Amino acid sequence: MHIYLPIAEMSVNVLLFLGMGWAVGFLSGMFGVGGGFLLTPLLMFMGVPTAVAVGTGSMHILASSVSGAIAQYQRRNVDVKMGIVLVVGGIVGSIIGVALMKLLRQIGQFDLFVSLSYVTFLGAVGALMMIESLGSIRKRQTAQPVPHKTRQHNWVHGLPLKMRFHRSKLYISALPPAAIGAFVGFMAAIMGVGGGFVMVPAMIYLLRVPTSVVIGTSLFQIVFVMAATTFLQAIQNKTVDVVLALVLIIGGVIGAQFGAAAGGRLKGEQLRFLLAALVLLVGLRIGWDLITQPTELYSIGPVIGGAS
Amino acid sequence: MRSLLASLLLMLLVAPALAQESHEASPADDPAATVEADVSTRSLEVTTGFTGHEIVVFGAIDNSEAPTNGSGYYDVVVVVEGTPLPLVVRRKSDVGGVWINTSSVTFASVPSYYAIASTRPIEEIAGPAVLERHAIGMQHIKMTPSTHKGAIEDYELAAFRSAVIRLKKSQNLYVLEPKDGVTFVGRSLFRATIPLPANVPVGPLVARTYLFHNGQVVSAHIARVTLHRAGIERLVHNFAFVHPASYGFIAVVLAIASGLLASAYFRRRPS
Repeated sequence: MHIYLPIAEMSVNVLLFLGMGWAVGFLSGMFGVGGGFLLTPLLMFMGVPTAVAVGTGSMHILASSVSGAIAQYQRRNVDVKMGIVLVVGGIVGSIIGVALMKLLRQIGQFDLFVSLSYVTFLGAVGALMMIESLGSIRKRQTAQPVPHKTRQHNWVHGLPLKMRFHRSKLYISALPPAAIGAFVGFMAAIMGVGGGFVMVPAMIYLLRVPTSVVIGTSLFQIVFVMAATTFLQAIQNKTVDVVLALVLIIGGVIGAQFGAAAGGRLKGEQLRFLLAALVLLVGLRIGWDLITQPTELYSIGPVIGGAS
Repeated sequence: MRSLLASLLLMLLVAPALAQESHEASPADDPAATVEADVSTRSLEVTTGFTGHEIVVFGAIDNSEAPTNGSGYYDVVVVVEGTPLPLVVRRKSDVGGVWINTSSVTFASVPSYYAIASTRPIEEIAGPAVLERHAIGMQHIKMTPSTHKGAIEDYELAAFRSAVIRLKKSQNLYVLEPKDGVTFVGRSLFRATIPLPANVPVGPLVARTYLFHNGQVVSAHIARVTLHRAGIERLVHNFAFVHPASYGFIAVVLAIASGLLASAYFRRRPS
């Protein structure tokens, strides 16, 4: 059964795309991640134009994180004040990202930029996660006590514009969270990801936000920034395909239920190891396409407003 | 009535070219052979379920001078062309191990769709000059480069041109029907089937029918098909481009609503 996607302007098999949504939902439910870093490249491999894959990705992430964010809020796991700082930064980053995307599309380098970003981030994050998870697996085997991190002050605490974040029990400058938010918002716009895999470690290691509020607060940021990004992409680049997003969302929510059940049967560090392997694989696949000679050197595309 | 108008229009357009040709072709005072054609579908709707469509171009030769069962005497070529649109062609090259788009050519107008069907391979029907004049055949498609910075050599431009044809062919947007694309039914009736793929760009399509004899165009005829978006597909596409802000807002609301609905549904279910 085929449907015609109005913005991607292609006819696709609806069952295939439902299945893709399901698979991504399954993996994100299993690992507790947003899945944008899987979905956007998958859409690109399927022939959806990169810009449409990225724009539609934001809408998909918004749908898949909104219920989680509300649940976290009800459990009082969201530092709203910190979240607002992250959101303000995030929206600024998203505006910059969407504008840069338009420019890059005009000069024909958007696909390259997206691929390079994916290779860089997935490579770095995947490698770090792999090392960390292998370390924990080994520690568990030798049964050594995990050394507890002491709360120490670092350079982050020397910056101006200090604010009190009650729920995080922090008194720090608003600049680092705003900068982290901005960076994640930028990435979200350019790569079609939620950015949790960068925001969560940054909040834990740079800001020393207690782990109990990290997930909730980052979901809070993702929901608002993704809503803003979806809106901006629709206005500036006209690359949000509602029909495609709905197909993926339907597949995704069903897959996530099964994924969460499957994830419950695995240990934390095993899950992180598998996730790291997956992240590295996706990164390698995109990198491979960059360095191997393409069978077709030429590509054609529409002229985007004022292109040279 | 419409086809009559169209044929009048065409007569005006190709009159200068035809004048001499038909002169050679028709001996003495006999009325010249003319071709008339039409398309099975005048207007086609691209809906959410659109998976492509086949149109049939059919027509007849009037005042045919062909001997009985006139195969071989006349040749018919049918060209279906989509709206000309601007297009950028980019070429990748190896920059320090990474394949990057390094050069590009912008064509001001390239037919979004091009299909050709003929009674015989077109090279056998007429010479390159005639084919070029009427834009018949892949290598004679009219493409005008708009960024000719002087830096682009002619042979390079030709490479970009053939890349457009190659890529459009691979997307099934440039179609060369097999050698018996146009088949005669009896002495003067003919038909050609043209496949429109699912990804055919919407807009008006022009079906040009040429009647050839001895390598020259004897008569020509134009018919039109309009492809327009319909149903949800049109609604969504127009909305996204005409009211991007409202579209964006609705996209956000839809995402939130579907996310909440789904989680509410799964929470109610005993797991």
